[in-house]
Amino acid sequence: MKLMTCPVNGARSISEFVCAGEVRPIPDPNTTNDLAWGAFVFHCNGAAGIKQEWWCHTPSDTWFIAERNTQTDEILRTYLWGEVA
Amino acid sequence: MMRRISPNHDRLQSLSGTWRDINGMPSLMSIPGDEQTAAHLGIADLSFLTRFGVKGAGAAAWLESRDLEVPDRPNTWRSLPDGGIIARLGLTEFLIEDSLHSSFALRLAEACQHVPDRVYPVLRQDAAIVLCGTAIPDLLQQTCSVHFQSFSLNDHPVILTLIVGVSVTIIPIAPDRYRIWCDGTFGAYLWETLATIVQELGGGVVGADRLI
Repeated sequence: MKLMTCPVNGARSISEFVCAGEVRPIPDPNTTNDLAWGAFVFHCNGAAGIKQEWWCHTPSDTWFIAERNTQTDEILRTYLWGEVA
Repeated sequence: MMRRISPNHDRLQSLSGTWRDINGMPSLMSIPGDEQTAAHLGIADLSFLTRFGVKGAGAAAWLESRDLEVPDRPNTWRSLPDGGIIARLGLTEFLIEDSLHSSFALRLAEACQHVPDRVYPVLRQDAAIVLCGTAIPDLLQQTCSVHFQSFSLNDHPVILTLIVGVSVTIIPIAPDRYRIWCDGTFGAYLWETLATIVQELGGGVVGADRLI
């Protein structure tokens, strides 16, 4: 069973988690143009490597960030948003 | 009092036993011979208890201002005076469930009409279940991936996880008594699945009288 460690709930089966994609800075929707907004919504970086990703522990609805090697699927660490990265 | 129906009511009403209205909800209180069942492996419906949920960065301070002692660590619980439970779910969410002899949930729901900033009431219409008996580990090993024996009950752990794919909150009150809450809309599925496995393991449904 593959495990992931939620910063609040501890180690749990990976089936309790969902990934919501890479952490990316969101453009200010009030000032950005359509081109930049479209790029943010539709253009994701698919290159394999070590990435910061949003994950959610679904039973507790705890959102956190996981640093994961998307080439080897190794989870390097997890932490809450706002904690020292 | 407002009429309430347990999410598990349809699964229970065919059972012959003693029923009583508690908090406006018809509740199965006893079944002939359920004493022996409860000692081995039993499942009972406690949805009739009143409960209240609140979340937000200001929730802990608000509860303390209402004379409630809140658990200071995430995912822990403590007893309320008169036998209820207050559980801290994660960092800033709380579940309060009354016993038959307390009324914190109702009082908090009334007080929640005017709450300060960063305090948000959470509607709790849970299916509330209790498992009892020595064979609880056999049931949980089939339905849940959490290793419950790794928790110390002295730490008063609250476990948020999945059982048969349903998001649940679990409190092991004692080695032979586990409380489970889930969203009411999943209640019938969770009840039916657990009750089926309980039966396969030689247990059965028991009345709430033995467990409250």
